[in-house]
Amino acid sequence: MERLSKSSARWKSRARFAVMMLLVVSLGAGFSSCSSQKKAAKKKAEQELAEKKAKAKADLMAIINDDGRMTLEEKEFKLASVKRMNLDDQEIRDLITQAEEKLAAERSAIERRKEEERLKREQEERERELREGGPYRAINNSLDAVANAGDVSTANMRIREALTAFTGDDVPVLILISSDGGIKDYDRPTTIRKYLEFIKDQKKSPNKVLNAVYDASGKIRELELIKK
Amino acid sequence: MRKIFGLTAALLLTFSASVMAQDDISPARKQAIDSLALEKVRDLSKYISIIGNKDTPWSEANRVIERTLELFAEGSLMGVSSINREEVNYYGIREYLERLMALNYDKVTISWYNIQYISDLERQPDGRYVGVITIFQRFEGTTKEGLRYVDVTKKDVTVYVERKTTQISGRIIGFWDVLLGDIRVTETKPG
Repeated sequence: MERLSKSSARWKSRARFAVMMLLVVSLGAGFSSCSSQKKAAKKKAEQELAEKKAKAKADLMAIINDDGRMTLEEKEFKLASVKRMNLDDQEIRDLITQAEEKLAAERSAIERRKEEERLKREQEERERELREGGPYRAINNSLDAVANAGDVSTANMRIREALTAFTGDDVPVLILISSDGGIKDYDRPTTIRKYLEFIKDQKKSPNKVLNAVYDASGKIRELELIKK
Repeated sequence: MRKIFGLTAALLLTFSASVMAQDDISPARKQAIDSLALEKVRDLSKYISIIGNKDTPWSEANRVIERTLELFAEGSLMGVSSINREEVNYYGIREYLERLMALNYDKVTISWYNIQYISDLERQPDGRYVGVITIFQRFEGTTKEGLRYVDVTKKDVTVYVERKTTQISGRIIGFWDVLLGDIRVTETKPG
């Protein structure tokens, strides 16, 4: 009985030892596996960073060397994406500076062009107002009314109406065809009666008033036209 | 003596420079007179269609004839052809327009198209510019009985452009006087 209990105690002790050994081995194995995972993760992170840096450099070079294939907005978007990465790399920082300078120059050129276009539009608008608006609007409308008359009798009526604004049928009409280098070139001068009949026959009013000279009673005694 | 020679040379240089300046016109001015001459041919096309149109009142047609004559140089001729005969007849412009107005058709439709230069305006020694504009004319006449005659004629219009001046309200105005010359038939085909 005593022998039996001794043998059982020995077995228990051996089993405890075996379990402990198993624990030690498995802990050791676990530790080694964790360490290699960390290494792999580190390697992966390094690889991803290298890829990010390469892409960032490629994007920055594309911005710097762009010859107009990308819009300014596309380039600005790419640059912002690279900057958001916060990459700690001197070469990338230098490229970012170069790209920023290039985009700033492009932006200011676009703004300058927009401003020039705006000024040109305003100038054209002022000229148009001068020619078509104000005191000449009524004359231009009366010329158009003759050209757009549906039949001969209506056109003749419009001619009679238009002529009331002039001192007579033979008021000279000059049509400016070119103004280059300070030299003004005109078509053969005509009279207001003939000009109104011309637009009646041609069914088009190709010119508009450039200048009109009035007499003391407010009637036109000379008319200068220019192509619309 | 040397002084007189120098002065003469300087005067000659000034004179020739002034003559050259008159000869040369800028491309913008040249383009303007090119367009002006083309416009005159287009105006003529419209006048011919009005005169030929049987719906145009007689008094209107006569007025338009007078306006048409103002487009032409004195003595210009108009060629008239037919697919029914070989020869081309030439008439003075007034006679041509009066014959056109009196054509024995119930309905006449005349249209000009493909109006363009075949010979650009070139400056001549007398200072005038001369060029040739070609046009295609489609003529369609229908009799009371419903018989139709249609032809397409290619015509060459000689144009003369001359710089002139006139005085208006005390100011000297420089203008380009465009005058049409002979209109020659170069081809006639059934329409």
